[in-house]
Amino acid sequence: MQVNKTNYLINNTPTLEVLSEEEIEAIYFASLTVLSETGVRVYNKEGYDLLSAHGAIIEGVEEDSALVKLPPEMVDIALSTLPRKVVIYGADPEKYKMELFKNQIYFGAGSDTPFTIDPYTSERRRATYKDVKNFARLAQALPNLDFHMSLGIVQDTAVGTYDRWQYLAMLEGTNKPINITAVDKDGLKDQLEMAYIRLGGEKEWLKTPIFSLYIEPVSPLSHSVEVIDKLLFCADHRIPFVYTPCPLAGATSPATLAGTAVQALTESLLGIVLSQLRRPGAPMIIGGLMSAMDMRTAVYSYGSPEMALLSAAYTQITKWLGIPEYETAGCSDAKMYDEQAAMEATMNITTAALIGGNMIHDVGYLEQGLTSSAEMMVAADEIIDMVKRILKGIPVNDDSKALNVIEEIGPGGHYLAHDHTFDRFKDLIWRPKLVNRQNYEGWEASGSKTHRQRVNERVIEILDREEEPLLDEKMFKELKHICDLADEKYKGDELDLDMFG
Amino acid sequence: MSDILSTISTMVIEGNFVDMVDKTNAALEESLGAEDILNNGLMPGMDHVGVEFKAGNMFVPEVLRSAKAMQAAMDILRPILAETGVETAGKIVLGTVKGDFHDIGKNLVGMMCEGAGFEIIDLGKDIAPEAFVNAIKEHKPKILGMSAMLTTTMRTMERIIKALEEAGVRDTLKIMIGGAPVTLDFANKIGADGYAANAASAADMAKQFAG
Repeated sequence: MQVNKTNYLINNTPTLEVLSEEEIEAIYFASLTVLSETGVRVYNKEGYDLLSAHGAIIEGVEEDSALVKLPPEMVDIALSTLPRKVVIYGADPEKYKMELFKNQIYFGAGSDTPFTIDPYTSERRRATYKDVKNFARLAQALPNLDFHMSLGIVQDTAVGTYDRWQYLAMLEGTNKPINITAVDKDGLKDQLEMAYIRLGGEKEWLKTPIFSLYIEPVSPLSHSVEVIDKLLFCADHRIPFVYTPCPLAGATSPATLAGTAVQALTESLLGIVLSQLRRPGAPMIIGGLMSAMDMRTAVYSYGSPEMALLSAAYTQITKWLGIPEYETAGCSDAKMYDEQAAMEATMNITTAALIGGNMIHDVGYLEQGLTSSAEMMVAADEIIDMVKRILKGIPVNDDSKALNVIEEIGPGGHYLAHDHTFDRFKDLIWRPKLVNRQNYEGWEASGSKTHRQRVNERVIEILDREEEPLLDEKMFKELKHICDLADEKYKGDELDLDMFG
Repeated sequence: MSDILSTISTMVIEGNFVDMVDKTNAALEESLGAEDILNNGLMPGMDHVGVEFKAGNMFVPEVLRSAKAMQAAMDILRPILAETGVETAGKIVLGTVKGDFHDIGKNLVGMMCEGAGFEIIDLGKDIAPEAFVNAIKEHKPKILGMSAMLTTTMRTMERIIKALEEAGVRDTLKIMIGGAPVTLDFANKIGADGYAANAASAADMAKQFAG
């Protein structure tokens, strides 16, 4: 065949870049400087002793913490053993898994909001076990949500054990991959035990781990005792974990977004080094949760353009480093699911998808992460669906250019009845479920409903469905037994359960 | 109002902490009383800042800069005011409770209250109930402010209030609390005197309590 084409690039998907490779390198090497010259504070003796034994410089030892400085080569060594691909399965591992590596995107909920909006009454109130279960059922039903987190802190059980109850509630509702939180190491141990039960044993866990753990060091540059305890436990037990600082530009990190990225990366790198020292090959994912403080209200903004931009920059940095990334989208500062919520979620979901963040969390978050919303979650599912259509891009080839069809129809004809259309429209032309495209008469005839009303109806429709339970009675009892035992242990420490009103 | 007092007000509004020391000393040399400088120079400036902040015309970093300017003057005036027996706004002890490392909100409250003329004793983060009790005994503040960011740590605030009751110092002060999961309802239930949803309203509440 004669070659008569050159310099022809194929764009299978749209691409987005916010940093050049040189800028990424500059940020990474700046992080190494902060790590070796400024240092980070580690509030965990086991943690800083391990770092010290492998070349870290320990200064400023106080009663409960030390300032730790890492020479750059410690990071190089750690990165050489850090897995570039992490796989997390659902409780139905055949059906659900996330393969986290460069440019693979998965969406999921956020976690641990104190409040939720009741979809039946629109009331904002403290979250309960039932809410968390219902959110998991929504996640199970929504096709564009790939993993799940506890969209509410369970507050109708014991305070020190809510993490186990949240995991149980989520297992009742979904068999997709779950990103859990843990109160402390004991909470993590109990949930691992629950996962073993759910899967049928530790051996099964090693093949198909069904949760990752969310761990959050505190910005700026602080790693608390519980954070390090959890990290070490994860490394020991092959639990994939997310290590995501949440710096707030202008408040807990520099106002400049580059400075915030440098600091966040420094915080994550400490986690990487420590985990790889504990067990080379320990799987982890680094965050991706950064925003700017709103300087009028002093809140952590979850709908800011800075958050979308920073997340995108961080994704590029992690792609360059070959580390699976934790990204943030589907969230808003609105107080209910409204126009603002839809606007902010559309912006951050689009950005996260285009840049290729791996584990994109916080779908369903409102009010700066303080309130969860079923409506936000259901609406976001469709926003993601629309964006995924954009990701499919425009393949350009002889078939798609359709010259023969254009020739056949010619000037003045139409394509509606052509086989070419019939065979392709379902794949190529996106169809909405909640977005309304009826003409005025049609819309009026179907009740003149706003988008918000349609979204709420969809939520209720899913929640009111009768479903086969995912857990049989015996398994539910076994899992609940672990929660009950934990409650028993914390009983003496318990305060009035009615406290929150 | 004398020119110098009006200049001091403007310097507070502009956050000019650099020249504030010289200007405060100059005012004292002009035989203006410390109380006069506080009430007719610094406070009108801070009041203006408060109004502008609430109206959305000034922002947190600017307010903190104004508070810093105010503090620069207060460092000079406070000993004089104490000597002459003039009542100042008083002391506030602040802390983020045991188990919680999230203290940006508490830091903000501290700076805002400093701007309102209070003396701040900031205990820091991860503070145990006994450390709160000891600090209250030592500093005898008018107000205690506590913060917690987590539902697991917010209940520690109740333990601290109980510890203060047991130590017999609960009734010597007002207690205000705050933090993301905290609500007015919760504050009432654990026996705090007030809940502030943000740093500016914490400063307003402190002024009321000190009133």
